[in-house]
Amino acid sequence: MKKKIVSLFMVAAMTASLVGCGGGNADSSNTGDSAATTDNSAATTDTSSTDNTASTDTAADNTQAEAEPAADDIEKPEEITIMIDGTVFTKENGQEQFWAKFQELTGIKVNVIQPDHDAYYDNVGQTIASGDWPDVIILSSTYYSAYAAEGVLWDMTDAWENSELKKRQEAHNSTGIVEGVKLNGRLYGMPSGRGNGCVTYVKKAWMDNCGITSVPTNYEEYLAMLEAFTNGDPDGDGIDGNTFGVTAAGFIGNEAPYINYLPEFYQDAHPSFYLKEDGTYADGFTEDAMRAALERLADAYAKGVIDPTTLTNGTADCRNKFYSDDFGVFTYWAGTWASNLKNNLINNEIDSELIAMEPIAEVGAYLDRVPPVWAITSTCENPEGVFKYFIEAMQDGGDVQFLFTYGVEGVHWSTAAETLYAGETNDKGESKEKVYAEGEFHMLDNLETPGTQYTKAHIDPALAPVELANDPGQKTIAPEAKESAEMFATHSVTADLIPSTDAMTEYNGDLTTLKNEIVAKVAMGEMTIEEGYAKYEADGGAAWSQQIVDSLNNQ
Amino acid sequence: MSKKQSVSKQKGSGSNKPLGVRVKKYAGFYVMFLPILVFAIIFYYLPMFGVRYAFTNYNGIKAPKFVGLENFSKMFNMPGFWSAFWNTLQISVIRLILTTLVAVVVSLFLNEIINIHFKKVIQTIIYLPHFLSWVVTASLFSLILAPTGQGLVNTLLVNLGLVDANNMIYFLGSSKTWRGTFYVIQLWKETGWQTVIFMATLAGMNLELYEAASIDGAGRWGKMRYITFPALANTILTVIILNLAKVMNLFESVFVLQNDAVLDVSNVLETYIYYQSFNSGSIPNYGYTTAVGLFKSLVGMALVLICNQWSKKVREGRGIV
Repeated sequence: MKKKIVSLFMVAAMTASLVGCGGGNADSSNTGDSAATTDNSAATTDTSSTDNTASTDTAADNTQAEAEPAADDIEKPEEITIMIDGTVFTKENGQEQFWAKFQELTGIKVNVIQPDHDAYYDNVGQTIASGDWPDVIILSSTYYSAYAAEGVLWDMTDAWENSELKKRQEAHNSTGIVEGVKLNGRLYGMPSGRGNGCVTYVKKAWMDNCGITSVPTNYEEYLAMLEAFTNGDPDGDGIDGNTFGVTAAGFIGNEAPYINYLPEFYQDAHPSFYLKEDGTYADGFTEDAMRAALERLADAYAKGVIDPTTLTNGTADCRNKFYSDDFGVFTYWAGTWASNLKNNLINNEIDSELIAMEPIAEVGAYLDRVPPVWAITSTCENPEGVFKYFIEAMQDGGDVQFLFTYGVEGVHWSTAAETLYAGETNDKGESKEKVYAEGEFHMLDNLETPGTQYTKAHIDPALAPVELANDPGQKTIAPEAKESAEMFATHSVTADLIPSTDAMTEYNGDLTTLKNEIVAKVAMGEMTIEEGYAKYEADGGAAWSQQIVDSLNNQ
Repeated sequence: MSKKQSVSKQKGSGSNKPLGVRVKKYAGFYVMFLPILVFAIIFYYLPMFGVRYAFTNYNGIKAPKFVGLENFSKMFNMPGFWSAFWNTLQISVIRLILTTLVAVVVSLFLNEIINIHFKKVIQTIIYLPHFLSWVVTASLFSLILAPTGQGLVNTLLVNLGLVDANNMIYFLGSSKTWRGTFYVIQLWKETGWQTVIFMATLAGMNLELYEAASIDGAGRWGKMRYITFPALANTILTVIILNLAKVMNLFESVFVLQNDAVLDVSNVLETYIYYQSFNSGSIPNYGYTTAVGLFKSLVGMALVLICNQWSKKVREGRGIV
């Protein structure tokens, strides 16, 4: 009997311990300042690869009602603690020199908590749960809206309204970026740039080979181009029908705005929640626009113009297929990715001329993601000071912004005469050597991954709301990157920031899984549109959706 | 006083010494045990307190709010949960039976190979996939099974005239073929590793039994049927019982191979928890995911107890816990 009891106890103990693991992030124990290292994902890469989902907030009750102190009364903080992801230089990439330079420029000492980029939000959750909050924190839109709703973030609306930063952004006509992250009219975080989004690139050589003389301007022309790319011989290998028109990583994205990899098929459809013109929220999944989008996807897939492996593709698979000349139309990030795509095509000895298409008539505008923000927590002792001397300074158009854009001289960039990668060759045996004259601005070799040059620090100059007074880096931006970024900026609208509500927390996980399953099955012809919507009703999707919509409209 | 009674008394007197004396006497053992005890407390016992979140709504910001059995009530009313629960049981049990069965068969055949070098080469080849990560395995099979001209399997089927070139099979993208494909990949990856334990059993067998069988006129098939297989039976049962206790733990292999179109047949409890946590577009309710985790663990515990009883019956009183 005793043995049985001991056995039972041991089994129960093991079971319970498993629950501790299986229950997600339930434990509130904090890592606090534990996370000091990081990968280097950002800092050296395009901002488009950092992410954020769009959600918005409902907006917490605003606790900050006191009158804003006059600028002269605002005390400069001596020391602040910040929690940042890998989009700012990591330890391996000169973090210490970066913040030392910041201290030199501003007189403020910054204590940095920088968890691993991939586990950043796990650490953020643990830190917030611990109650030991940093003064400043970088947040993606999902976390931004949720934390704002829970009162974690300081309401910086008044500080913004009275700031020099607002005037600077007004001068650059870029205050729309801040407006896009307001929650019920209140501001809880400051973006350091636009969120960026995707544009559709077409291989010019493929168009020529198929006798297509002009870039499609509507869906009919777009589909005709895809059919020509699929059934003809656009790659000129003498074989008809061994290529595809377009591909994507799945039929629907896994983060807001969900439709940005296949915009020509989705057009005006909203698979998830959106803000209508009348100011109310709706779920676009059951609207006619979404049904029409599903019809277009199913039709195109049946015709074979969409890559048959779209469902199981990752973004890296898509890029590799594009570089291998397997398909001709690719909706991908604007800006520096235009150069990356071009360079990789060149490396594969494939004609590299890409046309960044303006959105077709039915799409109207590409979607600009809601950008990540720098937020001040509500436990910060001197939020006005942090706003003025840290958040504002980051976009001062001068030295501090330069630091956040390019990093530290001698560590991340230089104007000294030098030769980088002397004697080094790429995979094809071509020389990688780069020679710079005295006084010529250039980024330096990556400290963590030698062989690649830094492209920026934290702020992408092409996406910044405030231009640098004297930006030597502008000359280093490749023409195709500049062109695609400018085209995107002209032809994009900011995606909606959807608030976080209890009902969303409760049901949106199941709802999104259900919607994604229906979209995939309908697109692949495993289910008709009617069957898809019948499943949506039967599995509770309509009821969950209604509860979320009600919660959004009754905040 | 009999000898037996004397021994018993000696043992009893030893264990009746005061705790302090016993600890002092066996201090070395206690010191050696200490790290394990600390490890167990930190990693097994302390996390158990997380169970309480199952009875709360908790988003990691505000203090947990006690909601009683509300999370369990929601869980039992969610079709997605039940689908994940049945998928977990079905996939795990079928996977267990298949891998054990195939491993036994492979072990029996390996045992019949006389050339020791050839046997070792074969063993090494079939062990290797076990050391590949599931992410690499998934990428590999996505490529091999692609429904395009680049997919090895489909190209082969087309060349054999079994499949139309315009209608290739999307093995990983269809609910009809996903499970079968998953089992095949599972077998490819894990069969070799599973054979280790069976091969060890076979290596310890008394060769005289085979000699005796030969004298009695038994051929290779007869020896395999009447000597080898019965010798393995107890090991097979042990392996099945031990693995049955773990059937609820299924994540990585499924997660890397599943996609939106096959969720109805592939979503298991652990991937369900994952999607609840990261797919909501909001801060998740950790209370709910903990409730699902607790339920999963309770089912796992029930299986352990059942297996323990079963083990005692078939293994002459020897349980697994």
